[in-house]
Amino acid sequence: MIVPIFVLISVIGLLAALGTVLSRNLVHAALYLVAFFFTIACQFVLLEAEFLAAIQVLVYIGAVAIILMFGIMLTRNILGDDTTSVPAGWKLPAGLASLTLFGVLAYGISNHTGAHGSAATVGTAWSSVSQRPGIGPDADPKTPRAVAIANMGKTVGDEMMTRYVVGFEVAGLLLTAAIVGAVVLAYRDGADDDPARRVLKAVGLFPPTPPPPGRAPTPAAGPAATAGEPRV
Amino acid sequence: MTQDIPLTWFLYFASASFAIGLMGVLVRRNPIAVLMAIEIMLNAANINLVAFWRYGTPPPGEGPITGVMLAIFVITIAAAEVAVGIGLILLCYRRWHASDVDRYDTMSG
Amino acid sequence: MPSTAALTMNYRDFLVLLPEVTLAFWGLIVLAADLGFWRARPDDVRLRRLGVLTLIGCAVALAAAALPLLSRFAILDPSTCPLVNDYSSNPDPLVFFGTIADDLLTQLFNLLLIVMFALVVRMSMSWQFTTSWGEYYALLCWSTVGMMLLLASEDLITLFITLETMTICLYLATGIEKNRLRSSEGAFKYFVYGSVSSALFLFGLSLVYGLTGTTRFGAIREILAPIVEPDRLLHATHMTVIGEGLAGQVAGATAVLLLMAGFGFKIAAVPFHQWAPDAYEGAPAPVTAWLAAGSKIASMIALMKVLLGALGPWSASAASVLSPGWIGVVVVLSSLSMTYGNFAALAQRNFKRMLAYSSIAHAGYMLIGVAAAGLSTRRYESAGSVLFYLIVYGFTNIGAFAVASWLARDLGSDDIDDLGGVGRAYPFLAVCIVLMMLSLIGMPPFGGFFGKLYMFMEALSQPGDQVSRLTLIWLVALGLFNSVVSAFYYVRVLKAMFLRGPTRGTLKPASSAIVLPILVGTFVVVATGLNPRPLVEFAKDAAVPMLSDGGSTAARTASTPPRVVPIAPPPAPLPSKTVATAAEVAARVE
Repeated sequence: MIVPIFVLISVIGLLAALGTVLSRNLVHAALYLVAFFFTIACQFVLLEAEFLAAIQVLVYIGAVAIILMFGIMLTRNILGDDTTSVPAGWKLPAGLASLTLFGVLAYGISNHTGAHGSAATVGTAWSSVSQRPGIGPDADPKTPRAVAIANMGKTVGDEMMTRYVVGFEVAGLLLTAAIVGAVVLAYRDGADDDPARRVLKAVGLFPPTPPPPGRAPTPAAGPAATAGEPRV
Repeated sequence: MTQDIPLTWFLYFASASFAIGLMGVLVRRNPIAVLMAIEIMLNAANINLVAFWRYGTPPPGEGPITGVMLAIFVITIAAAEVAVGIGLILLCYRRWHASDVDRYDTMSG
Repeated sequence: MPSTAALTMNYRDFLVLLPEVTLAFWGLIVLAADLGFWRARPDDVRLRRLGVLTLIGCAVALAAAALPLLSRFAILDPSTCPLVNDYSSNPDPLVFFGTIADDLLTQLFNLLLIVMFALVVRMSMSWQFTTSWGEYYALLCWSTVGMMLLLASEDLITLFITLETMTICLYLATGIEKNRLRSSEGAFKYFVYGSVSSALFLFGLSLVYGLTGTTRFGAIREILAPIVEPDRLLHATHMTVIGEGLAGQVAGATAVLLLMAGFGFKIAAVPFHQWAPDAYEGAPAPVTAWLAAGSKIASMIALMKVLLGALGPWSASAASVLSPGWIGVVVVLSSLSMTYGNFAALAQRNFKRMLAYSSIAHAGYMLIGVAAAGLSTRRYESAGSVLFYLIVYGFTNIGAFAVASWLARDLGSDDIDDLGGVGRAYPFLAVCIVLMMLSLIGMPPFGGFFGKLYMFMEALSQPGDQVSRLTLIWLVALGLFNSVVSAFYYVRVLKAMFLRGPTRGTLKPASSAIVLPILVGTFVVVATGLNPRPLVEFAKDAAVPMLSDGGSTAARTASTPPRVVPIAPPPAPLPSKTVATAAEVAARVE
């Protein structure tokens, strides 16, 4: 029963990925991407990582896809037309390259023989693993993995606060940095448009300072007249 | 228990998605489309990680959910990367009034 | 929860991360100070005050980073200070459940990275290239945190997160000069290439995880290490039993290639270098300095830790370069990077772009040392030579980009020809720049010369079969040829300074923000040139934990994988004056 479900999900997922990559309309591509993300969440469920599936739906579909949509809208692709298509001569090599990559990966996966090393745990070939361990009536529910599957949320929390605490803290730092930097870069420049200064101005704290010489971006001028840019 | 899904099937799926993502990076010129293709590649790696976690036998001393933890961190990183990417794309769009990778080309050599 | 309940946090581990924690918080403090107090001030006041505030943070972090080193060398008595006592009473080089290393390597490079970072901050105060000063300094602080944790990580998960933290902060810092087109363009290209390469890296990482079942460096090495039966050891006459390498393992080979694509991008090795010239040229000069120095140092060390440490058994089978293994990849990347970088630099007119191509070439030189360390029995010395090279290279490049800051401040451009007249107007600084350029070429008696010499000597003194020796000799020959090529474009800088007059305008006197990095760069170059031995030995000592201690306690007590290498005749001494000094250096090191 589980095998046909997997096949169905995989086929939908690959078609959605192809749709994302090939559809000329960017909004369609983003919708295909949402479908792809959802099939990935389904795969996580098949792999008994339901917690991860929930995160996948919340973060990828709930946040990433929406940010991408905003990006599409804000760059004036309101109709979603990807007018900048690729010359046909470049498509064939790109397709061949990715086919080659897939071929190499698939060959490597099917011919995997297990590491040459000493550990017997990794000695089995991937192609001979047809059954996941720890399933069935005689399976031991006390193995660490079985316990983890049963209490995934708790295990993830425990691991984050012990083994991967540095990674967890650094991930927090990374998100802070990304937000701070993205706000700085995406905000329109010019002193008056500075978000903090706008607030200061509203409460009468911002004294208007003349822009320093040599670096005076004129908002009316187009992108070509960006100050300080040497003409090419 | 009926027949289970072999490990390699997940790996083939992940490899195929990864290859499709790479093709997208090579083919598309719109920066947002490139970003989407990168997301496909990251997701493919996540499938690999979780499948290896579920099917493999961890060596002694290994945590119970290594692959899942890495997948969670990857999702976090992907979210940060998309935020940064969209910020940069908006910045470039405002400068060039175009969203086309090939036109962001003032430097040469 | 029987499995995870056993893990209890040792909160003393956080003391080890004191420099990183300080800098991470200091980024927030700078940001808050800017937004809360100084946003309404004119930009030049903000620039100065926030810069000074960041420098104070650097000083605090520097003190925190110096504590373990001081107690290690018994300069500071551990019993007098409770904090130091906590530091030094930790005998385990791995903290945080084996994900972070706390050894001489991390302590030394934490200190060096903070010093370099302070120079970059000081350099940033020289002119106003952005208005978002608080965010700028915060991003630089956080990228430094990423670098310091990257070179300390002993686990692929931590490695990936810190690598991303470092690069994402640097993407953002590259695009911070918002009123120039090329800054945005450089940031965008850096971002696109960077995210693709990190996706490739992640897929390779997932394959390594699948092949070994673990992500800890030590455990990976243990699992990949071959079993050698005793009698096979005895009968191994010619072939070295290093391992089977990657023979017959297409999945492992793909994983190595994907990982190398990721690392090759970070260290800007050909053919993953396309972002580097644009990002270097587009970024404001202090950010470029940090890209060239900090990012390259941290990524190079992480590369060595992964390749030499974790994936060491995959270097090559039977010590032959031509068998499948990562040595072959490194050799190819090294030759391509050296040659392409140097020849492309010849054609450049822009100073920063030229330095970008030269940094690609330097990545190639460093990979020679990595290849030597992978093949050699003298792994520590070879890896130590790369560390020495990295230190000298980092300080020199920060000094060189201070020159670019000078040009950008006064002329708004950074063409090599704009340096015209500097030799007459500012002879002292010009001489300093000359010394740094000579060191970058590899002229004796400067630090860069000894870096190259030491690395090339290590590559030449490899035992092993004919093929691997020939390969290393070929790499060294190519490196020497490329050093000669590189002289042509570095000399163009000197020619512009001394033989040409000012073209676009004259440079105003350099402020201390520009002079300081140049002076420090010159000092490092001259000091390591006059007496390279202390730093060389220090680098070698630092390389020891990098290669051997990676892993769990079990991995450290377990015997290292057997390496039986036939005794090869030492390389014939080369009849030359410079090589004689080289042999002296090598002898002193031993």
